Amino acid sequence: MKRAGPGRRRAIVTALLLAPSTLWFVALLVMPLVVVLVFSLGERAPAGGYQAGFTFANYLNLPARLTAFTNTLTLAPVGTLLCLVFAYPLAYFLAVKVKRAKLMLLVLVILPFWTSFLLRTYAWIILLSGKGIPSWLAVVGIEGVRLINTPTAVLIGIVYGYLPLMVFPIYVSLERLDKRLLEAAADLYADPIATFRRVTLPLSLPGVVTGCLLVFILLMGEYLIPQLLGGGKVFFIGNALVDLFLQSRNWPFGSAVAIALVVIMIVAVGLATRWAKHQGATREVSLL
Amino acid sequence: MPDVEFRGVHRRFGPVRAVDGVSFAITKGSFHSFLGPSGCGKTTSLRLIAGFEQPDEGDVLVAGVGMGGVPAYRRPVNMVFQHYALFPHLDVFANVAFGLRQRSPRPTRAELGRRVDEALALVRLAGYGDRRAWELSGGQQQRVALARALINRPTVLLLDEPLSALDRKLRRDMQFELQTLQRDVGITFILVTHDQEEALSMSDSVAIMRDGRIVQFGAPNELYDAPVNRYVAGFVGETNFLAGRVVERQDDRASVRLDDGRVLAAPLSAGGPGLAVGEAAVIAVRPEAIQLWPGGDPAPTPLDQMFEGHIESRIFLGDQIEFAVQGDLGRILARAPKAAISVRGDLVPDTPVRFGWENESALALADV
Amino acid sequence: MNKREFLYHLRRYQQGSISRRQFLGATGLGVASAVLATELGLRPRRAFAGDIGDRVSLCTWPSYHDPANLEVFTQATGATVEMTVFGSNEEMMAKLQAGAAGYDVLVPTNYTIRDYASQNLIQPLDLAQIPNHDPSAHDTRFTGEGAVDGTVYAVPKDWGTTGYVINSSEVTEGPTTWKEFWDLTQTTHSGRVMVHDYQLTTIGNALKYYGYSFNSIDAAELAKAEELLLAVKPHLFGINSDYKPSMLSGDAIMSICWTGDAVQLRRENAAMQYVLGREGGEIWTDFYAIPADAPNVKGAYALIDYLVTPDINAKEVLFHGYPSTDARTNALLPKELLEDPILYPAAEVLAPLEFGATGLITNEARAELFARFKSA
Ligand SMILES: Nc1ncnc2c1ncn2[C@@H]1O[C@H](COP(=O)(O)OP(=O)(O)OP(=O)(O)O)[C@@H](O)[C@H]1O
Ligand SMILES: [Mg+2]
Repeated sequence: MKRAGPGRRRAIVTALLLAPSTLWFVALLVMPLVVVLVFSLGERAPAGGYQAGFTFANYLNLPARLTAFTNTLTLAPVGTLLCLVFAYPLAYFLAVKVKRAKLMLLVLVILPFWTSFLLRTYAWIILLSGKGIPSWLAVVGIEGVRLINTPTAVLIGIVYGYLPLMVFPIYVSLERLDKRLLEAAADLYADPIATFRRVTLPLSLPGVVTGCLLVFILLMGEYLIPQLLGGGKVFFIGNALVDLFLQSRNWPFGSAVAIALVVIMIVAVGLATRWAKHQGATREVSLL
Repeated sequence: MPDVEFRGVHRRFGPVRAVDGVSFAITKGSFHSFLGPSGCGKTTSLRLIAGFEQPDEGDVLVAGVGMGGVPAYRRPVNMVFQHYALFPHLDVFANVAFGLRQRSPRPTRAELGRRVDEALALVRLAGYGDRRAWELSGGQQQRVALARALINRPTVLLLDEPLSALDRKLRRDMQFELQTLQRDVGITFILVTHDQEEALSMSDSVAIMRDGRIVQFGAPNELYDAPVNRYVAGFVGETNFLAGRVVERQDDRASVRLDDGRVLAAPLSAGGPGLAVGEAAVIAVRPEAIQLWPGGDPAPTPLDQMFEGHIESRIFLGDQIEFAVQGDLGRILARAPKAAISVRGDLVPDTPVRFGWENESALALADV
Repeated sequence: MNKREFLYHLRRYQQGSISRRQFLGATGLGVASAVLATELGLRPRRAFAGDIGDRVSLCTWPSYHDPANLEVFTQATGATVEMTVFGSNEEMMAKLQAGAAGYDVLVPTNYTIRDYASQNLIQPLDLAQIPNHDPSAHDTRFTGEGAVDGTVYAVPKDWGTTGYVINSSEVTEGPTTWKEFWDLTQTTHSGRVMVHDYQLTTIGNALKYYGYSFNSIDAAELAKAEELLLAVKPHLFGINSDYKPSMLSGDAIMSICWTGDAVQLRRENAAMQYVLGREGGEIWTDFYAIPADAPNVKGAYALIDYLVTPDINAKEVLFHGYPSTDARTNALLPKELLEDPILYPAAEVLAPLEFGATGLITNEARAELFARFKSA
């Protein structure tokens, strides 16, 4: 053959164009994962850190962090759900009801992101501690409420911190929704509730799924909120990881915990996407 | 009792008066059309009936009941949307079944399936039930939208340009279907269209709109024979307009001096307002009222008005032939049945011709 | 994070409202050093760079050095001080173990020095290059911790103790021992007591309940301590080294506490009292050391020598609030500071205190115990 055919040349060009992102992907995602995997099979060096080896002991030791796993696996889904419950009406309001000050309100939603997350969470420490909300509740006769350092406080922090991440994908899918479809539904005798259930909600499902996945995945690795608002009493896998890598410096065990976390996330995300696909494929989406 | 009635209805969008003081009544069981140029308020009128818009002033009545405060989903009205508005997450079956599923009592599965199949067959889409809306062509989507509304057997069916995306043949068929259906089920149809032929051929009554107002409301033949002004005449069929000013008025006729000084006389339109001397007016002559013959020949019959010119072009319109004649009056269109003309093979472009009409076949109209 | 925000955190830290670790989490190390350098006007001035190079990298704890002192150093030598701050000894060691950290001066705590030395992470010091350090001005108790098998690896900086703080308006029992601390936690004051998120002090003081050594790594003794900690956990208000806000807000009324924090708490609320458990507990010293792979050893010596100079060191003490180990420095400090029982406890309470033992930082048993306690 004298020269490369156009198809072949195109393939080469495509490969070249994709090369940087592929390299990036490998360097940023795959390589660290491989390192973690190798570490997870090794042993803790006497002075902490990693020492080569081949053992499954670290995986067998995972039950030692059972509380962290159960805490995370209950509070992350509950937190995601709470975010959804708060975010959906907000996104709906912004996308469907607001006409004029839309941009300003959108900016308001992300405004907290302009200050550091830590700073904002500190504000919550103050609000949730004894001199904050509990003392106001005491004024109206509700005594003895404790918020700070409880799962409730952590959930409040989660909803506060992750709300925009949930609002935006839902907002986008609702904003994209053709408002004429709502009229069509009303024309076909669907009252507002039926319209929401049979048209709005199914059509915003991609946003809901995206938002939930985003929040859920990030929550699975969360450690700052439980650390700050849970006061060390609400312990997530993220906190276990921070401790294992920075405090007890048992890198192999930490790696095993990290791998377990990744596996759980892959399974959860896989199930969620399969469910969403299934919903999209069925003739009639009915969620409620 | 009229089925749909507007009483002094206004609807404004900021400075735009989309519907500007409209009153009319549409007889129960009739086929009514709104005709008018883009942006004249046709869709807005339908939306006022459907309940997607509320009048700023005035009342909308359906079946004699005031619709103030009645939400869209409680109105006994269905709409075929200009842009179809099919539900993208549902297949064709579920789209069509949507309305029935909202009714109570909810039809049984079998009943639902039967009626959806029936509706799909009616719009020639039998067997398309499990397709997705976006897998269909524009015309197919339009027919799904039609089926989705028809299946509900509403008191009033609103159709916003429901046939615009169909080819001529299918369009004709669907027009026929719609008419048959309308006669069979006896629901009131309200059609919005740009297509005057469609409006005139299908409707019992037509409203010609302009800038949010109804210029003329009447049966198709009334509009054709007695347009209230130049605007209406221009909308219903092709017409030659010769503009000038009224110089003389008798009881039921007027003389109009054209810009070139000629004075032409014609009867006033039965539907139009009386023209005053000095008022801007047009003499309207339908192309089919104009007779045409070769330049050298004598007039076949004596005519009130006769002019000279030459053929500029000739166009076959199926059963008719249309000539454009350039001459004394500028550019004039004349039309004759093919059978009458086909013998005159000599009327080709550039042939000198003479043409004319009888005053009685022309109309003097206000030039608005 | 921008400069303003960073400085906000810094101030908070200095005012004692956030702990080392949280400060660290908020700011990030790289930014911390970069912003500090520019904020303090410590840009490299190559024209003046003397023979100690144009930069010295200092790896230390937050708000542990008076910026004014560092500025004077830069003006005198032309070398910018690049500061990196850490949240815990564990993190600091992890960074050095990873290698090529590029630090010139390190501020480790006593009990880590032998570990650093045995891993060859720090180098023996040539005291001739620190003429302003006078070993005889320090108690041998302090200097001894800087030497490993007779070789000096570090010179002492300042010291402190770990006891507990009580809000005496609520804790009226007047506890004086660690036994009382843990017992009150499980009874009268359940839900209002905090312990450090730090194995050394929390396990160490749990061991004290039974009269064991603060430094014990004996399996049976640790098992007892774990038993106590697990029993106590449901009664704790929090496990957090950032206990000052909770103490001040009244949510917590008793907490394990370091010298400096006790001083700051008392400044805010006179009812705050510092108790050194009679059974003993921890005494600690922070040191200056030079990493084995320090890129600018000359600069390191120059900086250490400068900072241990008595008048400079006195300014440092006034800035960070911890007692100095240097008698010459103490001579320059105000009397009321030297008479403060929190900073300078009486000899009889000091006597039973133990320095954190070598090896504790890397001890797997204690690390795992603490992890179990936290994740329980
Ligand atoms: N929601 C709205 N907001 C602002 N202006 C509107 C709105 N709906 C309609 N209008 C304006 O009202 C006028 C009438 O609109 P309408 O849709 O009724 O026209 P139409 O006769 O259906 O035109 P077409 O034949 O192009 O569909 C137009 O000028 C349009 O721009
Ligand atoms: Mg329209």
